[in-house]
Amino acid sequence: MAKSTRLAQGVSLSAEKQEKADADWRRQVRSHLIYNKLAYYLITPSIVMIVLIYFYPMLNGIWQSMHYFSRVQPWAYRFTGLENYLTALQTHDFWVALRTSAIWTLGGVLASYLLGLAAALLLNGSFRGRGIYRSVLLLPWVVPPVVAGTSWMWMYADQDGIINITLRQLGIISKPIYWLSVPHLAMLAVIIVHVWRSFPFMMITVLAALSGISDDIYEAGRIDGASNWQLLRYITFPLIFPISVTATVLSSIWTFNDFGTIFVLTGGGPAGATTTLIIQSYKEAFQRYNVGYGTSLAVIAMILMMGIGVVYLRLQARERDI
Amino acid sequence: MSRSVFALGRHAFLLLLCLFAVAPLLWALGTAFKPQTEVYTNRGLLPHDPTLQNFIYVLGQTKFGHWFWNTILIATATTVLSLAIAILAGYALSRYRFWGWGIYGNTLLLVQMFPGVMLAIPLFLIFTKLALVDTLWSLLITYMTFALAFSVWMLKGYFDGIPREIEEAALIDGASRMGVLWRIVLPLSGPGISTVAVFAFLLAWNEFFFAYIFLVSDKNYTLQMGLYTFINQFFTRWEYLMTASVLTTLPVLIFFFAMQRYLTRGLIAGATKG
Repeated sequence: MAKSTRLAQGVSLSAEKQEKADADWRRQVRSHLIYNKLAYYLITPSIVMIVLIYFYPMLNGIWQSMHYFSRVQPWAYRFTGLENYLTALQTHDFWVALRTSAIWTLGGVLASYLLGLAAALLLNGSFRGRGIYRSVLLLPWVVPPVVAGTSWMWMYADQDGIINITLRQLGIISKPIYWLSVPHLAMLAVIIVHVWRSFPFMMITVLAALSGISDDIYEAGRIDGASNWQLLRYITFPLIFPISVTATVLSSIWTFNDFGTIFVLTGGGPAGATTTLIIQSYKEAFQRYNVGYGTSLAVIAMILMMGIGVVYLRLQARERDI
Repeated sequence: MSRSVFALGRHAFLLLLCLFAVAPLLWALGTAFKPQTEVYTNRGLLPHDPTLQNFIYVLGQTKFGHWFWNTILIATATTVLSLAIAILAGYALSRYRFWGWGIYGNTLLLVQMFPGVMLAIPLFLIFTKLALVDTLWSLLITYMTFALAFSVWMLKGYFDGIPREIEEAALIDGASRMGVLWRIVLPLSGPGISTVAVFAFLLAWNEFFFAYIFLVSDKNYTLQMGLYTFINQFFTRWEYLMTASVLTTLPVLIFFFAMQRYLTRGLIAGATKG
């Protein structure tokens, strides 16, 4: 009896508290809405576009990837759950494409970072011609990907390309090198074109970090008797490390997702040697009309990229905290 | 002594790297001015007998001029529309802390990491249903949204740099928030807005994959798509292919040199929370 009274009191007491808290909360909501009303209006158009062009197609794609969906047999359309994914994981071509993607991404990003780093270290400081070097080195970054493809294709051309002509004149080769028709060479050739287009980004990012390092730190290091190599090793490298990580992570995502460079130069060939997961997904969906299977490959690519993307956001958040 | 060796080494390395950077472009440029007979005989960079014949052919005998016009239309419309939407959103992101601020901001960064092919397959099916495939509208809507994602963050960064005190003074004097944005913030962020505009324009100008997926008939091609079809068409006529490549790159280069200082700063800001 006594217990139940206390319980009832407790209930009414907490109900009262609850009501007060609700009222507080409602007041806060109202004042938040009044103050921020305009902000919600301002972001609405962008949210509408992003939902329409990014999220709706993404969800639609995930749904299609769970179907048997072939554009040449529309009558066979049916829900198959995760079958497309299981098929992919059991298909040799999928793993080959994934490995090609890994080689393409690692090779392209690593080489463009090292080249960009070297260029940035040499461009740092003031000397005659610095501005001109910087402008010229940035050029490849704005060149349209298709033009990068066509102009390098002409460089690589078997009989009359400038690379083979030069190598032959130097006496290094007697027969032309078939840059884009030998599997291993084709991979190397497309990576070179990618490095050409992406090292300027690395260069300018590292350069921005370098210009933020105060001369005082080097001065202090020099007074303590550090050699140039020690200054580089113990001052420069640690200070440009965070931005280097950010730049390489971003560049990995862009490289992995790249379609144009490879597609224009080799179309994924020869014999599938440059078929990355992205190219394979495209081929399945648009050339073999296996929309469901092609989409499931794209979803796998997206999941991989979102994994890297979350790492990237973590890094950004940590950098802001420091 | 060691200092001059270092300076020499520095110039040597940078010169080599510059050669790597410009070689394909110079080789293309040289070829574009060579008459057909010289393309396979003159292995030098410069033509012995420079001609404008290739340019006359590409501009007069192909649909190149038409594609150029399509691309200018698309790129301009993409720039204007994405800027209009991004200015509003960027201002909200800079001046307010609304619910979902973090989610909204992170979403804008994450969507930039979606593989294009992931979006292209469903979008192609959707646009087919809406009868938008093979129209420039499909590209405009898509490019505009792509440009939005990075423009909002870049603009937020620029707006952050404008002191709030100026706005507060105007608000006390009775101006509305939108009035403040229009009359005070926008005029002060000229360089920022033009940088973002160039980025949006470049995105639309250079984009190939979605044009390749969405466009069917050659009257609707953009430059990148048209240039791609030239590869097969002019496989043995490198001088035409290079001329078209040079013409496709020219507007981009002009933009680049005019805006270089701003562009390099914006390059990093759009992809990071700067």
